[in-house]
Amino acid sequence: MRDRRAAKTRSLAKVLLGVLLAGAATANAADIKIASVAPDGSRWMQQMRAGAEEVKTRTAGRVTLKFYPGGVMGNDAQVLRKIRIGQLQGGAFTAGGLGERYPGLNLYGIPLLFYSLDEVDAVRKQLDPELAAGLEQAGFVSFGFIEGGFANLLSNVPISTVDDMKRKKVWVPEGDNISFLAMETMGLSPSVLPVTDVLTGLQTGLIDITFASPVAALVLQWHTKVKYITDLPVSYSMGVFAIDKGAYSALSADDQRVVREVMGRYVQQLDHEAREDNRKANEVLTKSGLTTVTVKDADLEGWRKTIESIHPQLRARPDIDGMLFDRLVGMLAEYRRTHP
Amino acid sequence: MSFATGCASLIGGAAADTLSAVILNQDDPALIESGVPAYLLAIDGLISQHPDNIALLSGGAQLFAFYGSRFVTPERAVTLTAKARRYGNRAICLAHEPACRWADADYTQFVAQLEAVDKKDIGPLYSYAVAWLAQLEATSEDWTAVAELPWVEAVLERALALDETYEDGQLHAYLGILNCLRPPALGGKPDVARDHFERAIELSGGRDLSIKVEYARRYARLVFDQELHDRLLTDVLNAPVDAPGKTLFNVLAKQEAETLLASSKEYF
Repeated sequence: MRDRRAAKTRSLAKVLLGVLLAGAATANAADIKIASVAPDGSRWMQQMRAGAEEVKTRTAGRVTLKFYPGGVMGNDAQVLRKIRIGQLQGGAFTAGGLGERYPGLNLYGIPLLFYSLDEVDAVRKQLDPELAAGLEQAGFVSFGFIEGGFANLLSNVPISTVDDMKRKKVWVPEGDNISFLAMETMGLSPSVLPVTDVLTGLQTGLIDITFASPVAALVLQWHTKVKYITDLPVSYSMGVFAIDKGAYSALSADDQRVVREVMGRYVQQLDHEAREDNRKANEVLTKSGLTTVTVKDADLEGWRKTIESIHPQLRARPDIDGMLFDRLVGMLAEYRRTHP
Repeated sequence: MSFATGCASLIGGAAADTLSAVILNQDDPALIESGVPAYLLAIDGLISQHPDNIALLSGGAQLFAFYGSRFVTPERAVTLTAKARRYGNRAICLAHEPACRWADADYTQFVAQLEAVDKKDIGPLYSYAVAWLAQLEATSEDWTAVAELPWVEAVLERALALDETYEDGQLHAYLGILNCLRPPALGGKPDVARDHFERAIELSGGRDLSIKVEYARRYARLVFDQELHDRLLTDVLNAPVDAPGKTLFNVLAKQEAETLLASSKEYF
């Protein structure tokens, strides 16, 4: 009932905007419904709600961002479906979750692509605006990306070389085809499980090795089931806060500017905070009894060579933008040349 | 209170219980807020005179946890709940000697060692858990708090296995809260939480209104069940506050129910 009423309000706003005078739009309130997996009360939600409050004030109540936290609207795919039918207008997604709409977002998550956070910063500075523009063309307005951080390997036996992983059951997230391909090519045995089954999987021996950022490892409580953490940046993850372009375009130009400026600012803050959070969470992981395994330089080469050998295959996939991939690899090569 | 000069045999459970009863049966939170610090100082004094008195340590742990989590600034909450935690740790260590080395155990060892705690030690085990929870709440910005949640949950599970009716269903209520802290996509179990809350209400005979408030705040909001949320809170507002050992919590619960109900329309 509520949804139908909101949809009606929105379409009315669109009509007034598109057909009547643009100025008339200022008289219409827009209710933008946004889903998030983050629990209510979490830092993410606090920031999003603070942003929404500011948007509401600065648009004199014309734009209301309403949140559905705690994953109550389902996973990324379900939220996308609900956006398509107009039940929602936006969401906080994983980059991979929006990758089906815009493959550019799958790039940063390619396993072992980045060697360090400095490399991430150098690439993101150049490429983030392009990814945002590409996503906008695909129908979503984003206000910047939020770091999830590097995932590290978590295991019950020390892992420092690719060989250590062989014959072990390695977790791959459901739907993460790129990681699956990478693991298979490396001769590993990937076990596909939803993220919520990993804890039990580690307990029952269904999987031996998993990976997560320090923050995610703590939140998912995987630290209670593993003994080792390998200090290798396995893959970089990112969150994307985005709303449907149609809903955004229905706002007046002034209101659009306010939403973009305010939400962009809060997103940027979360992006910055994420790094410090992961640093602290990593300290806590070590304090809670996990042993850090450091990969030797010689072994690092082994990891990188193995994964780079499948770059041509990755590049050719429909869920990878080949041209962007080439540019990204070029940027990294340039960065490594200038930062030996 | 005469216990300040009493001998060790008198102070045990009786004094701590009387102390708690006096506080818990109050219907004036402002009086508690200004009056409890004196009790806390008295408890501190008693514990320093009788450092091995398990009942005093357990009572102290709970009172410091309660006061520290309800009535003070966030900064003071950290200090006061840390003391609660120290008292709770000492209580369980004295009651159950292997507990003195729990801090060195990893999670799997810890869970296994909890199995050895007997029902007779449920009191100190409960105080240990409550003080720990209060400290985690006071330091919830710290990732250590997130890391320790599964540990304290394991303690509550063990206590529940020993006697689910302990403290009129409080163990179920705490487990209900813990199972709602994370959404299902991140490992939370709202269905399990709902069963705990329902059982807690049953075991408390519906007289502990704070359980219904937490049920609404944690579960109903998590699963977006506005009907349940508003019904629970309306029940709380219409219920009598007087209940032995629950009056103070009920008065506080009513205040919170009003706030939550007022923001219902905005949240859902």
